[in-house]
Amino acid sequence: MNDEHTNHGQNPEWEQLAQDQSRLAFGLAVGELARRDASVVAISADTIDLFGLRGFLEANPERLIEAGIAEQSAMGMASGLATTGMRPILCGYAPFITTRSLEQLRNDVAYANQRVVIGAACGGIVLAMAGGTHHAVEDLAIMRAMPNMTVIVPADARQTWHAALATAQLDGPCYIRLGGKFAEPNVTAIAADFQIGKAEQLRPGGDITVIATGCMVAPALATAAALAGSGIGVRVLNMHTIKPLDRDAVLRAAAETGAIVTAEEHRASGGLGGAVAELLAQEQPTPMRLVALPDEFAIVGPTAKVREHYGLSDASITKACQALLD
Amino acid sequence: MTSNYEAKIEELRRQALQIRRNVWRALHGAGSGHMGGSCSAADLLAALYFGHLRVRREQPDWPDRDRFVLSKGHANAALGAVLAQAGFIDDSVLDDFYGYQSSFGMHPDIKMPGVEMSTGGLGHGLSVAIGMALGARLQSKNFRTIVMLGDGELQEGSNWEGAMAAAQFKLANLTAILDYNKVQQSGHVAQMLGLEPLADKWAAFGWAVREIDGHDMGAVVEALDALPLATAKPSLLIAHTIKGKGVSFAEDSFLWHNNVVDDEVYARAMAELETGA
Repeated sequence: MNDEHTNHGQNPEWEQLAQDQSRLAFGLAVGELARRDASVVAISADTIDLFGLRGFLEANPERLIEAGIAEQSAMGMASGLATTGMRPILCGYAPFITTRSLEQLRNDVAYANQRVVIGAACGGIVLAMAGGTHHAVEDLAIMRAMPNMTVIVPADARQTWHAALATAQLDGPCYIRLGGKFAEPNVTAIAADFQIGKAEQLRPGGDITVIATGCMVAPALATAAALAGSGIGVRVLNMHTIKPLDRDAVLRAAAETGAIVTAEEHRASGGLGGAVAELLAQEQPTPMRLVALPDEFAIVGPTAKVREHYGLSDASITKACQALLD
Repeated sequence: MTSNYEAKIEELRRQALQIRRNVWRALHGAGSGHMGGSCSAADLLAALYFGHLRVRREQPDWPDRDRFVLSKGHANAALGAVLAQAGFIDDSVLDDFYGYQSSFGMHPDIKMPGVEMSTGGLGHGLSVAIGMALGARLQSKNFRTIVMLGDGELQEGSNWEGAMAAAQFKLANLTAILDYNKVQQSGHVAQMLGLEPLADKWAAFGWAVREIDGHDMGAVVEALDALPLATAKPSLLIAHTIKGKGVSFAEDSFLWHNNVVDDEVYARAMAELETGA
């Protein structure tokens, strides 16, 4: 970490406005994408303020379509818009824009392979206090199972900005999981290079690798720092793109460090850990541990407490590393 | 009416008959299929493709073309038939219905020339069409979007989200045509999950509504010519039709929503489709 991570005063305007919140960084990137490309249009599912799009709406009323609390219709409209050459960016709540409109997402967007970007705020257990109806902890498994879909979980607000801008290059649909209404720790550099499908190595290490995504990247770095004190070299990969998975980075880490821990705010089935395990089991069997949520609906509570309850923490990642190293 | 008009209507009737013949031909080749909802839509499709839609068979992706979405995707045999008759696809494709690696499966595939959206899951087409109509507005294009709905699929709630949205956006460049054949897979719609009073519902949702006989070619053409029905509302044509129209034993029966077509059934059907309704 250096000054760049804390000194907001000298940072670009988007970085200051994002207030370290990925949902706001995404909304700001929507504005930037719209400025660059006249075909970009935002779709809200009663999510204007969730994405900080009020200013964008006032400046560009025709470029923001309010679909209402109607995710099925919103998803279908996004597909239809895309067929006409528009570049729709659908801004929804992760728990609803995934499963409520899942058939529209599968058929109209993924099957028809339309260029629709889906921003999904409040992913994981960001809304832990809201209960299981509002948790999005199977979204990555669902999205990953969709052909044509690109699945991205930025590690922080800064990476969200770059990831959202990078979607302009895509020819198919993309799902981006975002955080909620609280600051997320910065783990990437403001000007860090971002390439869809290319893992970001945040820390070198030769003894074990932690592959983390989203909000679990920060605890992965904490684990690496803690174990460094014991002379253990932990490689940390920020796997911001769940699909397409960076096979080379995973296989290299397996070959060079011989043990892999994955960390994600998602159930253990079918997410990042599942993707890594599927690859390694077939290409290069490697001892693994998955730090993830169990196969149950999560309890209610403050997000930090619920994360701690399920071991979504550096302590759990450290323990998993030690279990593999013993 | 002029003789030109009468000749046009006669030609559309001839095309509609040919759609029905091609539907049964495709189903016979496949061994089975959705004859009921394909044949109820035949007159509407003939009127659209041979008298209304501004499309180019030699340039199916012409950016300014009118869009047609078949939301009731199980009537794909009829869509394939009209696309073949209009020259978008080769006539031989109709003999490859359900075939290995065919572009012509049970439901429309966007990869087939002339098909605007992959459909088949019910209750999808209206919102997709709304997106297309919004795309026209945002790009200041004059193309029109038409979506054909089935009656059974109106039981899907997603349609009513779309019905609200299209009215909210005042999409006068959007028309929905309901192929109201009154029959779904397991019985008559009214006995399953009824839709009435349907015209009143759509009007209450903010649509301009007109009811027509979907097998009266003159009425169909007149209604299409009258579009849009209002200047700041989406239009709905409720076309009253008969499931399986044209083949007496298949008409108005849920048994012929989707059924086997063997040589004997095919011969009986085609015998009734020699000269048309």
